[in-house]
Amino acid sequence: MGSSTEEKVVAVILVGGPTKGTRFRPLSLNIPKPLFPIAGQPMVHHPISACKRIPNLAQVYLVGFYEEREFALYVSAISNELKVPVRYLKEDKPHGSAGGLYHFRNLIMEDNPSHIFLLNCDVCCSFPLPEMLESHRKHGGIGTLLVIKVSPESANQFGELVADPVTNELLHYTEKPETFVSDRINCGVYVFTPEIFTAIRDVSTQRNDTVTLRRVSSYEALQPATRIPADFVRLDQDILSPLAGKKQLYTYETMDFWEQIKSPGMSLRCSELYLSQFRLTSPQVLASGDGTKSAIVIGDVYIHPSAKVHPTAKIGPNVSISANARVGPGVRLISCIILDDVEIMENAVVTNAIVGWKSSIGRWSRVQAEGVYNAKLGVTILGESVAVEDEVVVTSSIVLPNKTLNVSVQDEIIL
Amino acid sequence: MKALILVGGFGTRLRPLTLSFPKPLVDFANKPMILHQIEALKAVGVDEVVLAINYQPEVMLNFLKDFEAKLEIKITCSQETEPMGTAGPLALARDKLVDGSGEPFFVLNSDVISEYPLREMIEFHKGHGGEASIMVTKVDEPSKYGVVVMDEATGKVEKFVEKPKLFVGNKINAGIYLLNPSVLDKIELRPTSIEKETFPKIAAAQGLYAMVLPGFWMDIGQPRDYITGLRLYLDSLRKKSPAKLTTGAHIVGNVLVDETAKIGEGCLIGPDVAIGPGCVVESGVRLSRCTVMRGVRIKKHACVSSSIIGWHSTVGQWARIENMTILGEDVHVGDEIYTNGGVVLPHKEIKSNILKPEIVM
Repeated sequence: MGSSTEEKVVAVILVGGPTKGTRFRPLSLNIPKPLFPIAGQPMVHHPISACKRIPNLAQVYLVGFYEEREFALYVSAISNELKVPVRYLKEDKPHGSAGGLYHFRNLIMEDNPSHIFLLNCDVCCSFPLPEMLESHRKHGGIGTLLVIKVSPESANQFGELVADPVTNELLHYTEKPETFVSDRINCGVYVFTPEIFTAIRDVSTQRNDTVTLRRVSSYEALQPATRIPADFVRLDQDILSPLAGKKQLYTYETMDFWEQIKSPGMSLRCSELYLSQFRLTSPQVLASGDGTKSAIVIGDVYIHPSAKVHPTAKIGPNVSISANARVGPGVRLISCIILDDVEIMENAVVTNAIVGWKSSIGRWSRVQAEGVYNAKLGVTILGESVAVEDEVVVTSSIVLPNKTLNVSVQDEIIL
Repeated sequence: MKALILVGGFGTRLRPLTLSFPKPLVDFANKPMILHQIEALKAVGVDEVVLAINYQPEVMLNFLKDFEAKLEIKITCSQETEPMGTAGPLALARDKLVDGSGEPFFVLNSDVISEYPLREMIEFHKGHGGEASIMVTKVDEPSKYGVVVMDEATGKVEKFVEKPKLFVGNKINAGIYLLNPSVLDKIELRPTSIEKETFPKIAAAQGLYAMVLPGFWMDIGQPRDYITGLRLYLDSLRKKSPAKLTTGAHIVGNVLVDETAKIGEGCLIGPDVAIGPGCVVESGVRLSRCTVMRGVRIKKHACVSSSIIGWHSTVGQWARIENMTILGEDVHVGDEIYTNGGVVLPHKEIKSNILKPEIVM
């Protein structure tokens, strides 16, 4: 039987919490990471928009540890805009990546969905969700994972997996292995049938019953036994690894881009990826200009309608300018994210940087970095309300909110 | 009598501690910084304290309700919508400071810790009859600060010299003032500097007198000075109320331990250590020249010196923490870890050594 038009789909997006991702500091000191703007939209907006392309989408749930009020405004705005109900659910305590899904199973199953998507908010990719769903329907089984091929050297940072090249069945899965297993990795985007809840419940009950037969090092054996609570279920180790090779899980490979947004520098890289995706899917969103009526724009650039950019400025490539920002005459912006209410004064240069809300960049000043997205000081980050005075150079540095720089700095973290 | 405490802004120099609490609520010697000042003011009969702040008033107000009740003193906030400098806040709080009685009011800088000889200052002020009195303190390197040039005999202030290149005197502004209400007439409601604009005016009119602060003085707005300040404070406590300090076979020098803290066997604590409420110091621990804030657990055999351990953090077994290491709130240093001057932001785990001073975000 083909898919009936009554078959509904629910999407769950894991957004994490405040004390978990300290890697996103200092930007996360001011805003929950999922709401940080990437290519002009909050990070979580990108997976949510992708969900909109799923036929018969009934509901989107955001699950995390932030306080409800931090997401209240956003979910009501996005529900209105996309005409799809989006709701934020706060986890009361850590349940693990699968346990969280299980914890809210009643709500998720309210619409009686035939399929449930699970996405990680900080994944940056093309989210081929309708295609994954179609592929999953052909295979049957409990779930399908989105996978991508990466360089063998980098593979061990992720979950490595082996899939049958013909049937696409997931044969083997291991999380961050020490030795090389495979160059195909888990993208953190899944589609499941409701049977996933049974699988998660089985893990909990099993944990209560049996002893873990895992080889422990002699050091570990001397530790006081740390029992994982029964309702703490991790998707990778507790579901994917055991079910691999049992004709329950399948894979769908994407040939497009894929990154994880763990550090502030990566948000600049992912902004670049999404901006170039806009060029293909919705070019009207991007800015253009030739220096006559509006500033010269090179490459993919997003400028919020309320931002003011002087016609003698030159912007791009890879620049996002947020609401109410003001870019003065003769300014050059390359590869940067300019957040709300920033003022950039005449002839300043900003490259490979993120300039925080309400900051001000003085005349002829220069804010720069090498642009190595994953390095600690690879992208210069200015927190909220940072003032860089005239002619000051800020190189490869991180500046926490509310600071004024009146001398040049390089390779520094300024608290 | 009324008083104004200049609390000001973001306290960025005391980060990472001020990422968890506004600066006046950061503990010093087991008490929020501002409580030291409020208690000193209460002791000389001040019945209302106004806090001039421009950051996180909601957080402050919650705590202040507690203090108000316990100390039976009225505490209000005067919120600056833009930074008003060092004199502007006085004009902003005018209505609260002037009650028609003609009595002078105190102005304190919230970063300063000292013995607060406020009663002597009141006598001094009455004695000279001038419009304004300021406390000055003697320092070794006056050119780092603003020097107050005064007549040593009468205390009458001639002028202020900011960071003088040649020696003009060794007394600097200690940030404690006693002012007649008429001073407020001389301050406009705009960002103003009390040292650059207001005091020079009063000095020119022969109305400004300076009293040399007896005892210690420290600006504890940054971690290094905070640690030195604790030593000076405990030293002064030894002289004034030695009963408050802890004694015992395991104590060396001046040590302050909250009554709810627990200390294990075989420890050696001191000199110059403050251990806050609810702390647990397990056996075999060595602590010197450090502050251990509320709720911290220091595990067995660890060694901490010249550092600040933030609220609810833990220090692992055999860990060694030294040389101006500052741990923010809820930081957990693993067993056997060494940190040399690490500055760690809140909610972190330290699982590898920090060999040289570095900021861990």
